[in-house]
Amino acid sequence: MEDAWIKFGQTVICGILLGGMYSLIAIGMTLIMGVMKIVNLAHGALVMVGMYVVYICATNYGIDPYIGMFIAMPVLFFLGCLIQKYMINRLVEVDSILPENQVLLTVGIMLVLTEGIRLFFKSDYRSVVTSYSSDTLYIGAMSISVPLVIGFIIAMAFTFLLHMFLTKSDLGKSIRATAQDRDAAIFMGVNSSKITMITFGLGAALAAAGGSLLLPLFYLFPDVGHLFTAKSFIITILGGLGSTWGAAIGGLVIGLSESLGATYISMGYKDVVGLVMFILVLLFLPGGIRSLVKR
Amino acid sequence: MLNKNTLMTIVFALVAVALPVIIKAPYQQHILILVIIWATIGTAWNLLSGYAGQVSFGHAAFFGVGAYSAGLLTLHYGLSPWWGLALGPVMAMLIALPIGAIAFRLRGPYFALATLALGEIFRLMFLNMTGFTNGAKGILIMPAITSKIAYYYIGLGILAATLLVTYLIVHSKIGYYLVSIREDQDAATSLGIPTTFYKNLALLPSALFTGLAGAFYMNYVTFIDPDIVFNLTDISIMVILVVMLGGVATTWGPTIGAALYIIMGELFRTTLGSANVLVFGVLVCLIIMFLPNGIAGELDIIKRITQRKKAGLSGGV
Amino acid sequence: MKNYRKILTVLLLLSFLTLVTAGCGGGGVSSDAVKVGVILPLTGSEAMFGEMEKNSFDMAYEELKAEGKTTIGDKEIVLMYEDDQGRQDVARSATEKLVNQDKVAMLSGGYSSACTNVIAGSAQTLNTPFLIVTGSSDDITKQGWDFVFRGTAAPASMYTGAFWDMMEKVVKPQSVAIIFENTDFGTSSSKGFREECQKRGINIVFDQAYEHGAIDFKPMLANLRSTNPDMIFATSYVMDASMIVKQMKELNFDTKLFVGNGAGYTMPEFYQNAGAASDFVASTSLWVPNVSWQGASEYYEKYKQKYGKEPDYHGAQAYATMYVIADALNRAEDLSNTGIQSALKDTDIQTIMGPIKFVDWAGFTNQNEPNTYVVQWTDGKLEVIWPEEVKSADYVYPVPKWSER
Repeated sequence: MEDAWIKFGQTVICGILLGGMYSLIAIGMTLIMGVMKIVNLAHGALVMVGMYVVYICATNYGIDPYIGMFIAMPVLFFLGCLIQKYMINRLVEVDSILPENQVLLTVGIMLVLTEGIRLFFKSDYRSVVTSYSSDTLYIGAMSISVPLVIGFIIAMAFTFLLHMFLTKSDLGKSIRATAQDRDAAIFMGVNSSKITMITFGLGAALAAAGGSLLLPLFYLFPDVGHLFTAKSFIITILGGLGSTWGAAIGGLVIGLSESLGATYISMGYKDVVGLVMFILVLLFLPGGIRSLVKR
Repeated sequence: MLNKNTLMTIVFALVAVALPVIIKAPYQQHILILVIIWATIGTAWNLLSGYAGQVSFGHAAFFGVGAYSAGLLTLHYGLSPWWGLALGPVMAMLIALPIGAIAFRLRGPYFALATLALGEIFRLMFLNMTGFTNGAKGILIMPAITSKIAYYYIGLGILAATLLVTYLIVHSKIGYYLVSIREDQDAATSLGIPTTFYKNLALLPSALFTGLAGAFYMNYVTFIDPDIVFNLTDISIMVILVVMLGGVATTWGPTIGAALYIIMGELFRTTLGSANVLVFGVLVCLIIMFLPNGIAGELDIIKRITQRKKAGLSGGV
Repeated sequence: MKNYRKILTVLLLLSFLTLVTAGCGGGGVSSDAVKVGVILPLTGSEAMFGEMEKNSFDMAYEELKAEGKTTIGDKEIVLMYEDDQGRQDVARSATEKLVNQDKVAMLSGGYSSACTNVIAGSAQTLNTPFLIVTGSSDDITKQGWDFVFRGTAAPASMYTGAFWDMMEKVVKPQSVAIIFENTDFGTSSSKGFREECQKRGINIVFDQAYEHGAIDFKPMLANLRSTNPDMIFATSYVMDASMIVKQMKELNFDTKLFVGNGAGYTMPEFYQNAGAASDFVASTSLWVPNVSWQGASEYYEKYKQKYGKEPDYHGAQAYATMYVIADALNRAEDLSNTGIQSALKDTDIQTIMGPIKFVDWAGFTNQNEPNTYVVQWTDGKLEVIWPEEVKSADYVYPVPKWSER
């Protein structure tokens, strides 16, 4: 009986902690999807590029990954701005039958980023091992990895800061206005092309932050991004498009449900649990978690 | 205008029928067969997503179920996988019903993501039900026919049927309803069009022909596993790429796109070494940025503009 | 609008060019060459192994060239690499191109089971000899395909040969737990292990597949711990292996022996990521640098020096395969498909992976009887612990508890 409770506690705590990092990656996506109404399939690739920046900092210059993160974020912000300004923005202005051609452009970007990184770094698996990588915190008989806890705390801090930025600053308010009604925002004097550029940059920077937080306990290879793209979608929809807090909670929910699924159903089916939840939310709670809060 | 179109179609058909006689090298014939398979999936996807505007990110589910119908018949009953050509489309339509029931309650990006999730669920199910599907070990068969020409003509028949049915649907009353749903679903509903019913009318044939292509793929490539035929990137997203390259909501777009996708991919692969996927990605970006409606789609625009100029009107985009 | 037209013209030209070049193709290789097609994943997620195998092929080729073994009569052996991108329809295209377009004398390569399956099937229908490098699905050499040969790779269920010997003499477990990734290699090898356990009456207390790429394995490990097995048998992809042992350490999960089944558990990356958690982890293996076969350690050193990276058994497979190819082509009476086929069939050669012979046994066709080993990590070094005749260190069993290290 005791054992069962320990197992349950372990499952819940690890699920929530991991979910926190999923949240950060998903918040990046929810911003992009909310403001620009496009599905960004290159999001995982941006996570991957961010992780490589941290990796270079760590191996070539001995910079701790948690500090390297603050180098990766501006780099990715800049990359995101460039992608938005010179590639995606072109399409927003062109008339096409299906808006989904923007999605396809992000597929192309994903291919280019992944294969470009592969050209430089080969497909080798790399890892950043720090002195605290395998430190573990014990609560009773439950064991919790320290990088997971640090990652969770930083992720939540970022979420909070971002929320403040979006609600309090002028720029943040303009971003939210563009997300709500692009045309109205333009009439109100918001420079929409600048806003979308900053949003995409911000989304990319957050993706990089999420990746960096995972690096000390995970590993790195050019295709690592695929693991995150689908997950971020699910969280974005779960949370309600464009909602920061929604995505944060959505990330926790997905982390938790995967963890519970893995413990009580099977490791092989853990992703199915998340996907089924996703469809149920789409059907019965179309506004996501956000709509629950507003009610 | 119609005469010109019919003429073009006849020319296309004649060329397609004559191709394997002109190109005798088996490798080129193999490339043509791959083009046909992709053209079929593309045309099927185009009906649902291009004309009706319901962009599916989960066509791998239909493709995979079609392929597995053929494979499982051989695995469990020792029947020829060619029976899959009959069973595959039926099974694909059967799974399309619940998929439609779920996904058609949603719109736009929500619909796209729901189909994405449903496709992934199918992949994981087939991967984990090892007793029934052989799991990740996949299904390997020994082909009964070795002649490429036979495969080519069977495939061509399938493609022709797909094109014809799609053409008929699109140019019937249903087709106009579908386009109206794409352009403005609310307006369509308010005009009394039962939108869900018509969306299903697009989904079912789309699933049918994708399943048929899947069953044919199993017969031709002779090996499948869940990570191949239910693959999100390599099937579901690539089919969108194929259609977008060629031209969304055009009759010949998917076929042109499939030819470009396969031939260019193959050309790059054999000449550019390990940078081949990178160059392919760059090209995808360029095409979408400069030809956002695909090659066939932009062709129409070009034609329209040149004609307008001829008529003495000021041209402009 | 002019822009569109330009692009359109360029695109159309491009596709025409393709057809034309593909039509006249053949490339710059002269006709008086013996072409060997090698199909490997050079892009995509498996490219890391494809690169390692390509490098090893090249290295072996240069050595053979220095010995004058790459020229047969007045014809030179030429390796033609094709990328399969880790996708089986592309592998099929590559096979078609090599055989029908480039007219290769024989084929080699094949990394993933899926691609190898397809290449083998096409090679058999096209009557072209195919020598597999890595693809390890049992089924491939169980189809009775006489043009398909597997020398350096063992069928997935046979990786455990030496380990079963050690099980009988040393481990003697009452209960085992099986965990495996849900891929072809994972399911095939755990199936083989499961059947063998049932035959010997060993109790299987836990048996679960997982999807590779997971970050958190603790749910599975916690369930596994409550069944308290004597031994764990795990088949994992590269980095999942290190995630699993790291998290076992975090959970303080003690077991008498943890055995990996090759793949992820024998690679340098495993130690790099897992660090101290890798200590005492045992694994089955087909090859280790310090194995006693002649040339093995030389290959390892030379590769490391030349490419600045440690090779693992995948590289050794490719290296040995190149020697088998050169040997067979030199012995072949004529360079027709059947000539090479019978030369391959008569192969009896000593390589860095041990002796290679293509025999029919236990339902397999043209399958070398593999030499397998059990290895164990000690301070970041992989030591051979079984069979005892070739061991480089003594085994540690049962392994010390985490708290006592």
